[in-house]
Amino acid sequence: MKQEQARQPVERRVEQTAIPHPAVEEWNGETYYGQASVKPSPFDWRVAAYVYVAGLAGSAQIIATLADRLGDERDETTIRNGRFLAVAGVAIGAPLLIMDLKTPSRFYNMLRIYRTSSPMSFGSYILGAFGAASGLTAVAHLIGERRADGGRSPMRRAADMTQVPAAFLGAGMSTYTAALLSATSTPLWASAPQAMAAQFGTSSMATAAAALSLGEQIAGNADNSRRLDGLAAVAAAGELIATAFAEKRHRETGVGATLRDGPIGMSYKTGALALGLGVPLVCHSINALSKRPSRGLSILGSLALLAGGMVMRQAIFQAGNKSAERPDDYFRLTQRIPEGAKPRRRVDRAVDARGRLP
Amino acid sequence: MGVHPRALDYAESFPNHVIPDESELTCGTKIEPGKSYGFFTDTTLCIGCKACEVACKEWNGLPADHLGLTGNSYDNTGDLGANTWRHVAFVEKIGSGGDRAQEMKPFQSNWLMMSDVCKHCANAPCLEACPTGSIFRTEFDTVVVQQDICNGCGYCVPACPFGVVELSLEDGKAHKCTLCYDRLKGGLEPACAKACPTDSIQFGEINELFERAGKRVEDLHEKGATDAYLYGAPDTPGATGGLKHLNAFFLLTDRPEVYNLPVAPTRASDRVRPSFLTGLAAMAGLTLAAAALMSSGRERGR
Repeated sequence: MKQEQARQPVERRVEQTAIPHPAVEEWNGETYYGQASVKPSPFDWRVAAYVYVAGLAGSAQIIATLADRLGDERDETTIRNGRFLAVAGVAIGAPLLIMDLKTPSRFYNMLRIYRTSSPMSFGSYILGAFGAASGLTAVAHLIGERRADGGRSPMRRAADMTQVPAAFLGAGMSTYTAALLSATSTPLWASAPQAMAAQFGTSSMATAAAALSLGEQIAGNADNSRRLDGLAAVAAAGELIATAFAEKRHRETGVGATLRDGPIGMSYKTGALALGLGVPLVCHSINALSKRPSRGLSILGSLALLAGGMVMRQAIFQAGNKSAERPDDYFRLTQRIPEGAKPRRRVDRAVDARGRLP
Repeated sequence: MGVHPRALDYAESFPNHVIPDESELTCGTKIEPGKSYGFFTDTTLCIGCKACEVACKEWNGLPADHLGLTGNSYDNTGDLGANTWRHVAFVEKIGSGGDRAQEMKPFQSNWLMMSDVCKHCANAPCLEACPTGSIFRTEFDTVVVQQDICNGCGYCVPACPFGVVELSLEDGKAHKCTLCYDRLKGGLEPACAKACPTDSIQFGEINELFERAGKRVEDLHEKGATDAYLYGAPDTPGATGGLKHLNAFFLLTDRPEVYNLPVAPTRASDRVRPSFLTGLAAMAGLTLAAAALMSSGRERGR
């Protein structure tokens, strides 16, 4: 009789949530001696720097391609700088990634299989293909540029062809890293997969436009700079919106504390938001409204964007790793089963033998 | 408990050969490739002896770590990691506000002990994250890291929803429980399960274990221990968010968080698609904006 009374309310609850007693009872913040429940990623500043460099390189290739297809001879500096930035990004980024491996001599094992469930796997292919296409483009551009006498040499035409796949891969380079972070159990990263992807993508485009704008200022093409500043401002505004959405998701899931408080929160707010978004938006807005745009404001805005993009990546990496060490963050995030998580087809192609059960 | 009839064939105290299908004699399970095997860890039977930890370290040749006292009850192991593949958690319920509890439940009252281990998830996030194919699913439906392929990228570490996998800085590879892959191949019961003196850790065919565990829960409920529930069996906490079920599952008597387990873990790879597609959509929008800026506003300049 006593048992019956105890069990009845339990069974009703089970029907509602499909989770049996006593797991349905409210979680009162219990943890196991405050010990971490998941492990933080071993990714350090090098991977965060790669995310920044990869995004900048990918988006620079997109801008260069657009300038080549839609622009005229006045856009030559943008095209050249964009193509070289893309190659430079891979040349700097790939070693950063390899350096972060704990067994770097086996880096080539990254291309041993192809797996859509792992952004680290398909990202390696994006990086490899982007590097190859961008490398070909830059080399052909360099040769074609030297030999060009007015018209476009065959080499230059080859560069114009290889840049198209490079630009498409550039879109992947700009944003796959957000998917990589989201597809973990790290509370901060797992809580806002979509908003973080938009944040990374917009920041990539903003920093690429800022870098190219600086190049135009150095070359003395204020007119080109102005258009690129406009693009940077649009992307930065988008990033501001994406950041707000990410912040909203963090609050809903109760995980954002590591990105709000302490030195990381401070650097995120002042470095990534105030300096990285506020300053360039103000600078570029003043320039856009004035009849005679100021060179100094344009350069200041570009430099602020470039610095802010890096601070944003580093802060998100550090805050994410820190959130993994906080069991209450993880337990808050995992209180509810996420809606709409349906099984999907995954391509998992083994190059070697694979031990899946028949 | 009856003795397996085949046990009489090996009566000598020190047999000088390996007993074929020894697992049949020690746990009543014949190990055959193509079937799913796992652990059922019944925490109501655990006495916290840590024989599983020792057996695991011995068999797998794992170095000592976490030397020193943690101050967390009798748990001086800390957590699962590269060199610790079984970890006995100790939960002492002393009472609220530092006062000694005045009343106690008759069963599983103030002491909770649980031998934690890699869950060998049916949809393992570490395996799905591994970019090298180093982590693979064996013919026994377990999840193992191949040390000769792992390049130490470390992506499996944050992917795991239970904080099991860890990189060893000694050799730069990821390590975790293999569910004694080598022993299974040789027809031996995994070391921890064989060493467990109370059968808190039970090794067997996974469907048989689910059945056995379900009966155990019913049994405990009948005896009045209505707190008992399964964690990681199909449609229970721990088997949420696309993980389907855990090949190493548990019988718990308090909230999962008390044992450092999430109540509703998720399958990390479910977030790849929404994130990547949103990112690409943002890039498409930005490209359109860039195209508009590139093709207009030129006249104003000159």
